[in-house]
Amino acid sequence: MIQLYSVSKKYGPFRDALMDVTFRIAPGEFVFLTGPSGAGKSTLLRLLFLEEPPTTGQILVNGRNIGVLPHSQVPYLRRTMGIVFQDFKLIGRKTVFENISFVQNVLGLPRAEQKRRAYHVLKRVGLHHQMNAYPDELSGGEQQRVSIARAIVNEPTVLLADEPTGNLDPVLAEEIMRLFVEINIRGTTVVVATHDLELIRRMGKRTLTLERGRLHDPDRVREDAPIVREAPFLPQA
Amino acid sequence: MSVRPRYVLAEAWSIARSSPRQTAAAVTLITLALYVPGLLALLSRNLGRLAATESQSAAVVVTLQPAADRHALAARLAQDARVRTVRIVGSDAALERFRLAYPDLGAALAELKEAPFPPSLEVSLRPGVPPLAASEIAAAARLWPGVESVESGEEFERRFRDAVGLMRNAGLFLGGILTLAAILSVASAVRLALDLHRDEVGIMRLMGATEGTIRAPFWLCATAEGVLGGAAALGLLYGTFRFATHWLARDPHPLLSVFWVRFLSLPAALLLPAVGGAAGLAGSLLSLGRKYRKAKPAA
Repeated sequence: MIQLYSVSKKYGPFRDALMDVTFRIAPGEFVFLTGPSGAGKSTLLRLLFLEEPPTTGQILVNGRNIGVLPHSQVPYLRRTMGIVFQDFKLIGRKTVFENISFVQNVLGLPRAEQKRRAYHVLKRVGLHHQMNAYPDELSGGEQQRVSIARAIVNEPTVLLADEPTGNLDPVLAEEIMRLFVEINIRGTTVVVATHDLELIRRMGKRTLTLERGRLHDPDRVREDAPIVREAPFLPQA
Repeated sequence: MSVRPRYVLAEAWSIARSSPRQTAAAVTLITLALYVPGLLALLSRNLGRLAATESQSAAVVVTLQPAADRHALAARLAQDARVRTVRIVGSDAALERFRLAYPDLGAALAELKEAPFPPSLEVSLRPGVPPLAASEIAAAARLWPGVESVESGEEFERRFRDAVGLMRNAGLFLGGILTLAAILSVASAVRLALDLHRDEVGIMRLMGATEGTIRAPFWLCATAEGVLGGAAALGLLYGTFRFATHWLARDPHPLLSVFWVRFLSLPAALLLPAVGGAAGLAGSLLSLGRKYRKAKPAA
């Protein structure tokens, strides 16, 4: 579950990227985050994967207040999340397999197990035959599918996608969305930031709209926001 | 979380390959930085050996002109009540003694046709004479006809100590400066590698890599560059030593030969790669400490 309570983000004294944003996303839900450019969609996602801290307010992911998470624990939190970007963010000098199995490699997972998992997720995105290819040998749609495979290889509870179809044509965009739906059906909470209203309309999912940093017609949480303090998030065994 | 060593090794290799010129420059600079003090250490070691040999000899050494009457001068010295013995050392005897002191020079000395050492008188003093006696006798003998030069054992020792100390200090000073330059060079190489990997570092962070995981390959890469530079310096030094001994064997020179008798001891030799590794690590820590924090994730 993802919960935001009166979250604001300021850049300097005059620029409010987010103002008093409050919403709740249930476990296993599929939610679109939309709004015009500069509305705060990417900022909101950055707060969710702790690239930046909120100026005020509280953010809870899976019941944990990530605002009080020690810096050293952030990597472990990120491993429970999958992140997909518009520009894919694949490492060019690594093969598809190496891009996908990076975290498992660091953790010392046996190579056979890494390959098994990579093959499994690549099969889900239809790229199991490209395991040894380099990113620049793939099309934009294929690269995005690799980045989705990388995001789900650790079986995250939450998948965040920032304009994942922004660089793709409508057919490929549809294909990628189908993948997200499939991932969501398996129980992963999916949050997709996009300004493609047509795509959102076709998908028919719940939508949170941001406008100039404020949540428009939000699914407000009416009860008082609890103050959450907890022990540091520990790495999973 | 334990970081997989194979991953760190592979990444370190990849970092080194990503900026080959900078890597080569860093290794070269470390090589030079350690070669110079290594060379001075080698020379001072051999000179120190000579000093140790000489310190065991006479209290006063009177070097004579070739035509001087050595017996008359010896008798004149023996008249001093503080003198216990006066030993006449001819040119041949001096050469023979030198051969015994430096058996390693073997070939270089065997080919000597002429005795390069002038005749001399070695004066030993009676036990219990004041420490200044040697200097006083030396000062008096300097004025005698037929005497080329006179040095007291004290002066001899002091000169050797000064020479050895000078070499060691010069080695430390130059080594310190050059090592500092090497550290900065490694830091610069790491900085460049970090710039080249900036996006990757950002992506790795987003994927959940810990700071240790990201930094470890940079540390390893720089340390390996340092060890490699130190090993290259050692190799270069050994090459120089072999060349010098080979050259001196063909064209013997009694003075220069003194400096090229023994190579560095094993601990001293191993110190070069160790210092190189430490310099590399220091460079990477310096670079990662400052630059790394600025490498924001690429999101």
